[in-house]
Amino acid sequence: MTLMLSVPLTLSNFSCYSPVCIDSSHFIMSLAAEAFVSQIAEDQILLSDCASSLAVQAYLRMCNLPVQVSYRPNAEYMSPSGKVPFVHVGNQVVSELGPIVQFTKAKGHSLSDGLDDVQRAEMKAYMELVNNMLLTAELYIQWCDDNTAAEISRPRYSSPYSWPLNHILAYQKQWEVRRKMTAVGWAGKNLEQVYEDVSQCCQALSQRLGTQPYFFNKQPTELDALVFGHLFTILTTRLTSDELSEKVKSYSNLLAFCRRIEQSYFEDSQAGSSSRGYSKGPSLF
Amino acid sequence: MRSWSTPAEYLVWGAHCCPCPCPSGHTSDPMAAPLEMYCWKGDWGLPSVDTDCLTVLAYAKFAGAPLKVYKITNPWRSPTGVLPALKTAEKSIGSLSKPSNIIIHLRKQKYNADYDLSAKEGADTLAFVSLLEEKLLPALIYTQWVDSKNYVDVTRRWYAENIPFPLNFLLPNRIHTQQLERLRLVRGDPTLEPGEQLEKELYHDALECMTLLSQRLGSHKFFFGDSPSSLDAYVFGHLAPLLKIKLPNGKLQQHLNSLDNLRQYCTNILLLYFPSEGKEPPSRKVSVHPEGSDFDSEPHKRRNQILSVLFALGSMLGYAILTGIVSIQQVQAQPALAEPHHVDERGEEDEEE
Repeated sequence: MTLMLSVPLTLSNFSCYSPVCIDSSHFIMSLAAEAFVSQIAEDQILLSDCASSLAVQAYLRMCNLPVQVSYRPNAEYMSPSGKVPFVHVGNQVVSELGPIVQFTKAKGHSLSDGLDDVQRAEMKAYMELVNNMLLTAELYIQWCDDNTAAEISRPRYSSPYSWPLNHILAYQKQWEVRRKMTAVGWAGKNLEQVYEDVSQCCQALSQRLGTQPYFFNKQPTELDALVFGHLFTILTTRLTSDELSEKVKSYSNLLAFCRRIEQSYFEDSQAGSSSRGYSKGPSLF
Repeated sequence: MRSWSTPAEYLVWGAHCCPCPCPSGHTSDPMAAPLEMYCWKGDWGLPSVDTDCLTVLAYAKFAGAPLKVYKITNPWRSPTGVLPALKTAEKSIGSLSKPSNIIIHLRKQKYNADYDLSAKEGADTLAFVSLLEEKLLPALIYTQWVDSKNYVDVTRRWYAENIPFPLNFLLPNRIHTQQLERLRLVRGDPTLEPGEQLEKELYHDALECMTLLSQRLGSHKFFFGDSPSSLDAYVFGHLAPLLKIKLPNGKLQQHLNSLDNLRQYCTNILLLYFPSEGKEPPSRKVSVHPEGSDFDSEPHKRRNQILSVLFALGSMLGYAILTGIVSIQQVQAQPALAEPHHVDERGEEDEEE
């Protein structure tokens, strides 16, 4: 059984993560995807997709599950829910973090078994907080801020396609996201208010985390993976203005939290693979 | 109408909630004119039938805000065109409709139900409100507005009976279409059709959400200790309609009934904070419940019957006149035109007759 995580072409930030293909029955590491990833020249992935993909990667690594990341320009169209990332295991395809967590749980891998009922309720609530506010804010900044949409989102999103498909698909996506913003009541907000929302969300996460190493005691849960995915991506992605990352940077315990997870779950494999020709990409510190 | 917004400013809790330094700049003075609020009217023993209205009403009760509440059934009479709406004293703000904005405004007027919350509890409020909006609200909308049996038998019936003519023909269907569109956008699937698969997914999330809320509540009276906060207002607003409005397809209701502490929690809030509504249901229920509603809806029925007969008569008459005028004009025009050919025809016809 091989877990394969498919995301669109990656940001340079993450293409460096060693794509490790491990046969989960034996936990044998192989590097089947090495050539594939290094060949990627064009960047397509956007902040929000990148964050979701990193969250799933972090989750699978926390579960000690083998994962081979593969980058496909048409990942969105391969996914059963139309959203990236998705994992491909045997003949099953599961997309998005929630269903993936359920799927791995059914296979006997779970990070939240040690929690009591109240803690589990709180964990789910905070995961929805991240989805409801951080993810929506990322989508808003990508597609509803005209500068970001024109300079970053549309060119990146349409990079694999040729004229006129590139324009059609990019504007279609933008139109879809804007309608979604109307449906969730964000259409009337301006950029300042969205940054303010991000700040409020980070404040809530920071309060909740406090001085603990992870959100619930000493063991990471899927909430830690999700928060790491979003915050780390926000911190390491360059947008038209760095106001978004500045908002996150003002919470020192969240910064330390990101660094902790990066070190424990990403740098080990990086170090192991660097000898095989991987260059280390930009990290947090 | 519902908004899916996030009450972002939820973290403005605690003692320094009031950003304005001047104590006199507020209408917290009990002698000042109360704020005016417009809400959907209540039924089934609820102070209002709408989730957002319930949330705001409950918060106002919890915070002790003296509101002048107009319970209406015509959203076009609200200052914002949707319900709920709060008319504020400040011209620059005007009227507010999002529950989160209304609550923030009330809090700025020093009606703060979250005064005693710690920073962590404020963060928890934000998280659980997100949980409600992401997991429970879509299912709530589905069960009230999209599920065909519930919509036709209960929701459309109630709104059609209560919204004044002629909007009652227009608005329920429009809200239905809007809500379906909203579900499509939120789930990111433009081809989404109401059906078993969608229902299964939505209800799965909603049942899980209710179980989580029940676990979080435990045996407490309110979510954070002995006094209610804004989170209690949100939870009450989302659960009370499920508990009180009897729907033919009531899977969510059944689950809520099986969670004793949540059911008790909603009933307690209704009894403690809306005692007048609690007394009403026995008499109202008889008159409004589908079985007993014949008498209640009789005037509407009679009026609709008369109107439909009038409409049918009018359209038949219109059609007759329209075609009739054409023939009459032809008949009248013929002598003026005095074309020999037509005259011949007439002559022939006359001869035939």
